[in-house]
Amino acid sequence: MRKKFLALTMCAALAAGALTACAPEDSADAAATTAAETTEAAASNTTAAETAPVEVNEELSGDLVFAIWDNNLMDYIDANDMVGKFQQQYPNANIEVEKIKDDSEYWNAMKMRASANQLPDIMFNKPFTLSRFQDYLLDLSDLEATKNNELTAGYALNGKILGVPMTAGYEYVYYWKDMFAEAGVEVPTTWEQLKEVSLKLQEHFGKDNPNFMAIAMGAKDEWPDYPFMEFMPALEGGNGQNWNDMAAVDEPFADGTDVSKAYHKVYDLFTSGVFGKDPLGLGNDQATALFAQKEAAIIALGDWGLQNIKDGTEDYSQLGCFYLPVRDTEADPFRVVVQGDSFMGVTTHSKNPELAKAFVEWFYSDAWYPGYINYVTSASSMTNFPKDKDPILAEADLAQPDSQLVMYDGGGDDFQTVQNETAFDYKKLGAEMFTQGFDLDARLAELNTKWKDARTKLGTQ
Amino acid sequence: MNSLAKKKRRFILLSLIIPSILLVCFVVFPAIDLFRMSFTDWDGYSETSKFIGFGNYISMFKNKDLWQSLRNNAVYFFTHLLMIPVELAFAVLLTSRLRAAKLYKTMVFMPYIINGVAISYAFSYFFSPINGAFDEILKVFHLSMLSRNWLSDPKIVNFVLAFVSLWRFSGYHVILFMAALQSLPQDVQEAARVDGANAWQMFQYIQIPAIMLMVDFVLFDNIRGALQVFDIPFVMTAGGPGYASSTFTLYTIKTAFTFSNFGLASTMAVAIMVMIVVIYVVQNKIIHGLILKGDK
Repeated sequence: MRKKFLALTMCAALAAGALTACAPEDSADAAATTAAETTEAAASNTTAAETAPVEVNEELSGDLVFAIWDNNLMDYIDANDMVGKFQQQYPNANIEVEKIKDDSEYWNAMKMRASANQLPDIMFNKPFTLSRFQDYLLDLSDLEATKNNELTAGYALNGKILGVPMTAGYEYVYYWKDMFAEAGVEVPTTWEQLKEVSLKLQEHFGKDNPNFMAIAMGAKDEWPDYPFMEFMPALEGGNGQNWNDMAAVDEPFADGTDVSKAYHKVYDLFTSGVFGKDPLGLGNDQATALFAQKEAAIIALGDWGLQNIKDGTEDYSQLGCFYLPVRDTEADPFRVVVQGDSFMGVTTHSKNPELAKAFVEWFYSDAWYPGYINYVTSASSMTNFPKDKDPILAEADLAQPDSQLVMYDGGGDDFQTVQNETAFDYKKLGAEMFTQGFDLDARLAELNTKWKDARTKLGTQ
Repeated sequence: MNSLAKKKRRFILLSLIIPSILLVCFVVFPAIDLFRMSFTDWDGYSETSKFIGFGNYISMFKNKDLWQSLRNNAVYFFTHLLMIPVELAFAVLLTSRLRAAKLYKTMVFMPYIINGVAISYAFSYFFSPINGAFDEILKVFHLSMLSRNWLSDPKIVNFVLAFVSLWRFSGYHVILFMAALQSLPQDVQEAARVDGANAWQMFQYIQIPAIMLMVDFVLFDNIRGALQVFDIPFVMTAGGPGYASSTFTLYTIKTAFTFSNFGLASTMAVAIMVMIVVIYVVQNKIIHGLILKGDK
């Protein structure tokens, strides 16, 4: 028996060794580098709290489940021993960090767990999921973190603060300065200019390189068209409540509406050939990698995309960025969308709600938040911990110093109910625009009919 | 009753009771609940739901995107169905005395044991419009004019995905057929040879009728697999462009999780169960009629 056990142990050790040896060296190095960088980022942001004596609270105790999907946050938590640091202040608390693959999977899991009374103690939300989970989230109005957050008030539902946004999310258009210079084009400031610039880039670089894309987009994944399909209707009319307003009318896709105007602009650009030979054949990872390798001159992504681009190239000295110019003329206001992102909330299923609230306070205190926010490329949402933008991202503000911020709301209950009833999927619609024979006017007319029927059926006012 | 008989009886009872309880808990009860949910408007997270009668069933029949998804399933079904005779032929070939048969068997079965998501990712890159291996192969053979948008042209995308599905699952069918062929009694086959039966006659009158149970299983597996195909279109195209490569299961999942309509999704799940049974019965009648008519 002992021999068998020994043999099994040796086999397991051998297999583990072989697997470790087989792991790509690059990935091992990359992991080590990331971990080192993460720790370094934290170390460089040593805060007053780390040197000040820690106030220990032994009254609050229990277990917490903290569910996340963000890879950057996960890396940072692992590298900086979040649980250990929290336990220094709350020695009787234990935290299980639950990592879910991506945000789509996260919502699927949370929906199932909500119906089974199994939500984690602390969960994240996006603006468009807040109303969906509002019955399962506690009001955080009294927290210091809420008071110090500059975005929370804009996302209150029925006067309740259901989540504290971890970052302020901005959308950018990244470009290669040297490619712009070679093609003789300037950073566009109107929609027409964006189209002209893209056409010139496509013509200039596309003649020698059939794979070239003036604008890279992984439309196969559908979601990468969100800077256009999700935010442009709000930018068109400067109305962050656009989705909510749509829920109150029968024909929101009619001619002259913000959605119709925005989607006609998008359709015009998507069908102009500036996205290369087959944007629907590429996923976002491929499109980002190709942009990083200068097989494309422009890519529209959130602030989170900067890290991905930097990871794909060794030289990003020529990387620049600007805000998506949606306006028709230079006389029109230049609008920029901003949204609270990753709303940390405490669920009604928590067995230790006070401890969970204490965790939220701790997370947004100088014991943790400054190190994290300086590690990621996103902007800070906390007034007590302002953060300078990355120099590349700051270029967008320098180019448009008078831009108007549009606070984006992902759509409340009424909108989502009608959206679900009509199966209106703006990201899929954007991807469909790339297909031959797609008729936007017919599709918008069809959506109008469906929308009206759905409102009648649901009795939406 | 002596103690050994008692123990035996207890063992048999336990052996039957435990699987029965598991079956009721994890199959029968969820199936009944699924059927109940198909008559509600449950959104997947609310504590309550409303009974809406046949509303979901009517809505399902009127949904043109769902019908398109079902048509896409048909591409997988017929492609695999057409390949079954080829798979059978391969199985016969590999069962006969063939040099390096073991190597071929391993090669044929290998795609089935590789993770489906990994295969789908690999083929995504294989058919990629930029630096895609397939286009490069065509270029090597001076066939660039045949190059297409493999994953985004609605006219061909389902055939490309069905090809990947074939690549993955055909080996599994070949192995099943081989297992059945190897279990045939040798004396019957030898007797037929002595009586002067040629290879085709052996195949038609001895091998096929003898492995009919396995043929039935493969046919059933084909229907079930074709109607429930998910990972390949999900990873390779996300069902797009639009719903051009969506499948019934993909659409059901989208209905449940993207559009929060678990009631309608349950209706679709009930429909898929009914379809599997109906198509299996019809197919069985046709295939048995064709293959076994010679016996009558």
